[in-house]
Amino acid sequence: MALLDVGVMFVAVAVAGALANRLGQSVIPFYIVTGMLLGEYVLGRLALPAIGTAYVPETEFISLGAELGIVFLLFFLGLEFNLDRLLARRGPIGTAGTIDLANFGVGLVLGWLVFGAFLPAFLVAGIVYISSSAVITKSLIDLGWIANDEAEPMLGTLVYEDLFIAVYLSVASALVLGGGDVAAAAVDVGIALGFIAGLFAVVRFGTPLFDRLVATDNREFVALRSVAAVVFVAGAALALGVSEAVAAFFVGMAFAPTDRAHTIETILEPVRDLFAAVFFFWIGLVTDPALFADVAAFVALAVVVTTPPKVVTGYLAGRAFDLDVRRSTRVGLGMTTRGEFSLIIATVAVSGANAGSFDPALAGTINAFAVGYVLVMAVLGTTLMGYSAPFESVATSWLDRGEADGSGASG
Amino acid sequence: MTITESDLPGVGKKFEIELGDGEEMIVVIHNTGKREVFRRSDPEADSEKAFEFSDDLARTIGSIIEGAHFQPVEPDTQETTLPGGVLLEWYELPPGSPLVGETLASADIGNRTGLAVVAIQRGDEVLDSPGAETTLREGDTLIGVGTRENCEAFEEILTE
Repeated sequence: MALLDVGVMFVAVAVAGALANRLGQSVIPFYIVTGMLLGEYVLGRLALPAIGTAYVPETEFISLGAELGIVFLLFFLGLEFNLDRLLARRGPIGTAGTIDLANFGVGLVLGWLVFGAFLPAFLVAGIVYISSSAVITKSLIDLGWIANDEAEPMLGTLVYEDLFIAVYLSVASALVLGGGDVAAAAVDVGIALGFIAGLFAVVRFGTPLFDRLVATDNREFVALRSVAAVVFVAGAALALGVSEAVAAFFVGMAFAPTDRAHTIETILEPVRDLFAAVFFFWIGLVTDPALFADVAAFVALAVVVTTPPKVVTGYLAGRAFDLDVRRSTRVGLGMTTRGEFSLIIATVAVSGANAGSFDPALAGTINAFAVGYVLVMAVLGTTLMGYSAPFESVATSWLDRGEADGSGASG
Repeated sequence: MTITESDLPGVGKKFEIELGDGEEMIVVIHNTGKREVFRRSDPEADSEKAFEFSDDLARTIGSIIEGAHFQPVEPDTQETTLPGGVLLEWYELPPGSPLVGETLASADIGNRTGLAVVAIQRGDEVLDSPGAETTLREGDTLIGVGTRENCEAFEEILTE
């Protein structure tokens, strides 16, 4: 029956993906909703004629596939992360990314007001801070903005966020898995940061080793060896109590300067997409929509409170890259999209609950909040990008003082 | 000619080529190998997508634009090799050639060089299988068949 479950999952996800494409929306919310509908909390509660109850259970394959999805998403992030390039553009990217960090502060305050404790506030801050690389990049390509000047500040800010989230995830995992004790957590965070420093050293000096590992023209071996490296290191990290996502990110970074980086991307892209879809489906599967009633007000509050700051910081990021008002407005609208990383942060709470070091009820609430928030923000962000024209006109008429003569930034 | 290259993290590379008058062509090369070509009429305008190619197609189109894909070949002497190492050659009679004014019989090309003259191109008309009494004129193009030695021998009596 497990094979049938997986078959049903892929059929449903494929249909959902086609539907999302038809509607011009991101696939991510559709995959999540599909998982929710087919899971025990919706389909499992219906009495179906003739077969009684039937739903897709959270089999080991699906939860493991979801984990692989996280690993491959972060691996690709590292693979496309070029430290030298980042340093070459560090001026504007640094400015834009640092302004963007204000959103983390907004999330911290919001989380503290709702939960009244540091750890959940810290998780909420991450969830509302990080924009979605996957959805924003795809929207840029779909709208043709990729060829415009607004692409650079958006992608640059995302790179900065990715680096921040790598450090953040390892700290968050250590805090959640270390229980509530501050002294113990301090040790765990120290270990996590030490592990990151070690990985960073491997990335900095281990490139020749990784280069040799994949120095073959046989595509099968390139695929096997790169998957072996990333899954093994991620698994080992998890066994040591360190975030597997962060480990995968650094393995990707180690492969980035090798001659085969492009080949690895080409070969493994379908693998990433497949397991990422399983991850989004799984998120829906383990989310009880009944919890939405409890978090609906919180989600609504978060949407209202966190959207405007993201627009403003995005706008300022555009200005840091010398863009005119209209294009900076686009940057602001686009950056509001949240997606895969907010969900990955939510899984930290869930895995903490599974490990017994985090309150399960709180983990369920945070997960339901993250899913609800991402469902709204992914659709909202994609829609804002698609219908940006009226916002651009308003912003231009309000803010374009002395720039109407066309002396705005060019090229 | 200004060409700006920039990285698009997670997407690929972008090239902006200035075409003059503020017009720009923008080429996005995706990591997947896909190419997108955009046109921007002026720096303030939005890019309008014009084309999208696969990797293979983009390379072919690129070589066509470069002029490398189709090259009208203009070799110094036109020759076509027939099976068995026999050549089909075109020779224009230059001014002052000793053959001008001779007939095919008096020039005795076949016996002297071994080259068989199979046709003569004169202006717009072609005399195929020209008779022995045909007089050769300046500017005629003789089309001959023979081995490389025959051809070399003929080239000597053509200009000596």
